[in-house]
Amino acid sequence: MQHQENKLKEVLARIFNVTVDVIADDSSPDNIENWDSLRHMTLVIALEEEFDVEFTDDQVVDILRYDLIKIVLSEHGVEFI
Amino acid sequence: MITDKSDSSVCAPSFSEMLETINLAELSGDFSGTSVSFNFLRNITIEGIEPFIKYYCLSSGLNPRIIFGNYDTMQQEVLDRSSHLYSSSPDIIVVAFYLDTYLPDGWRADWSAADVMGGMAEFFADICQNSSATIAVNTFVPPFYSDFGISGAKNLPSHHDEVLKLNQLIREYVLANPARFVLVDWERLIRLLGANESMDYRFWYMSKAPFKRAFLDLYAKELVKVARALKGKSKKCLVLDCDNTLWGGIIGEDGLQGIMLSRHTYPGNIFYDFQKSILSLHKRGVLITLCSKNNEQDVWEVLEGHPDCLIKRDHLSAWRINWCDKATNISSMATELNLGVDSFVFVDDNSVECGLIRGMLPDVTVLQVPDKLYTYPPILNRDGLFDTLTFSAEDSQRSKMYRDEAKRKQEQIKFHTLDQYLASLSLSVAIHPVTKWEVPRVAQLTQKTNQFNLTTRRYSEAKISALSCDNNWTVMSLVVRDKFGESGLTGVLIARRDGAVGIIDSLLMSCRILGRNIEKAFVLEALTIMERTWGPRVWRAEFISTPKNHQVAEFWTSMGFQKLNCQDGHTFYELPLSTPRPEPISYILIEE
Repeated sequence: MQHQENKLKEVLARIFNVTVDVIADDSSPDNIENWDSLRHMTLVIALEEEFDVEFTDDQVVDILRYDLIKIVLSEHGVEFI
Repeated sequence: MITDKSDSSVCAPSFSEMLETINLAELSGDFSGTSVSFNFLRNITIEGIEPFIKYYCLSSGLNPRIIFGNYDTMQQEVLDRSSHLYSSSPDIIVVAFYLDTYLPDGWRADWSAADVMGGMAEFFADICQNSSATIAVNTFVPPFYSDFGISGAKNLPSHHDEVLKLNQLIREYVLANPARFVLVDWERLIRLLGANESMDYRFWYMSKAPFKRAFLDLYAKELVKVARALKGKSKKCLVLDCDNTLWGGIIGEDGLQGIMLSRHTYPGNIFYDFQKSILSLHKRGVLITLCSKNNEQDVWEVLEGHPDCLIKRDHLSAWRINWCDKATNISSMATELNLGVDSFVFVDDNSVECGLIRGMLPDVTVLQVPDKLYTYPPILNRDGLFDTLTFSAEDSQRSKMYRDEAKRKQEQIKFHTLDQYLASLSLSVAIHPVTKWEVPRVAQLTQKTNQFNLTTRRYSEAKISALSCDNNWTVMSLVVRDKFGESGLTGVLIARRDGAVGIIDSLLMSCRILGRNIEKAFVLEALTIMERTWGPRVWRAEFISTPKNHQVAEFWTSMGFQKLNCQDGHTFYELPLSTPRPEPISYILIEE
């Protein structure tokens, strides 16, 4: 659902202090300046709360790119379009 | 949106909402809050707590600066006097450490809890010596399983038991050193939340970040309680509705037999427990007041006549039991008690009344009786609204002092002129350099006094102790009594000397004793005492304008000081020694 995609982009935008339109499928620590390991932990907390999921330790490491975040969230039952 | 299940009227913010609030505040560049700085001394990754501290600070009118020391160099940082830990001059040093990482070779089998505590006490003493910050220390995460499973193994050392003993020794250490230390009891927080909600083993193994969101949230709240207390933001007065707040039901309709208030029976026992929590706050020096839409005699009928009503008229410092709107009533009580409305907490069951106060008096903290009544009794203690850093004898006497004040006001009506009345009070004051036992009270006054405060400088106990030992500083305390009773230590004057110039750094007085010219007597006598030892040629003083201290804007002028200049609300004054002093106040006796 478009709604979930918007929600997801807003979470990232807020945590990394960027605008929503900057977020693309390849967004990762390589191209987003503020995405360091500490912010990544904050991202995990925010995503878990916002989407009511709990990631495994493997998944915490997997979600280091926007498209991968969507894939892992889908595995937890979150529906994107 | 996360619903705070204990209070259905207010939803606790979600993590995203907290981040949003922080972002907005930082973007707006609004730094009008009181600044407070934290420096973390740590051997774990604890940066995750930063957004929570920021959020709760901003909600309390505080502007936080948070610094994290280097990871796991605690011993070096503490011993190195030039380290950033000290040079950053934090208000609060937060020691956040895991035991196993702190002990370089682990806990040796032959060590007892007391052995480990000995080493830690030295560590804490080093921090104490090199800094004047308030130091927050933690108890350790308790082992979740006992060493020997279900069997009790006699005479074999149990790491589990030793850690619990160590935690208790830490608590005792803080109790013995209240001037410098506060306790952040991780063991208690984990007990509150449960291991599952507290410990994040993923982040622990991946990045040595041990805690989950719920624990970081609670941990941050504890630290912000300390910050609020340190910066004069503690609440001082409780305003209580009566019907369905102090008891179940409506006294005017249900009568004394019909209301629900009982030591033993449900649901009256819930209100009984709530009243118990009010009494414990009263003992701590919090003022208790009532604001109820009722006939007065109906309310007194309960307070005086109901066998299970713990709150008595004697506990109250003021009340408004009438049919007027509660906002006007609360403001009027604030004036009567000489307090700002921002030191009030209001409790009511009615959404409309709560909404009115939230809208009309936004600085009042409003707590609504929750729908789930069984969660009601702890609400006054949950958020540490009334917490102060120190507790002095004055605090437990505060309510009696306000009652004595009421008697004074009644007497006043009998006299024709104010001076006649003041003369009849048999006022006497003791003015002297602060004694060791007065230090906590003096520090507390600097932290809490907002209205009669010329420069609003806040000092910790450690700082006051240090100044009192410094030859170039004097800290004077003022103790007041009159024929009605003791007002206690209610004034502080702090001065320093710079060559032949004496500079008054701070002058503050408790609102309780204003309007009797005591402030004049205090300053005159304090200057005289200091002139005997320092011999300055000129006195300087300052007034720093805040939203709360308008009433003292002209004080130095009224004392004969000359205004020198004024910049950004900061006014400087001077009093050459040759200037004739005002006559001493005839009706105030200055004790030797």
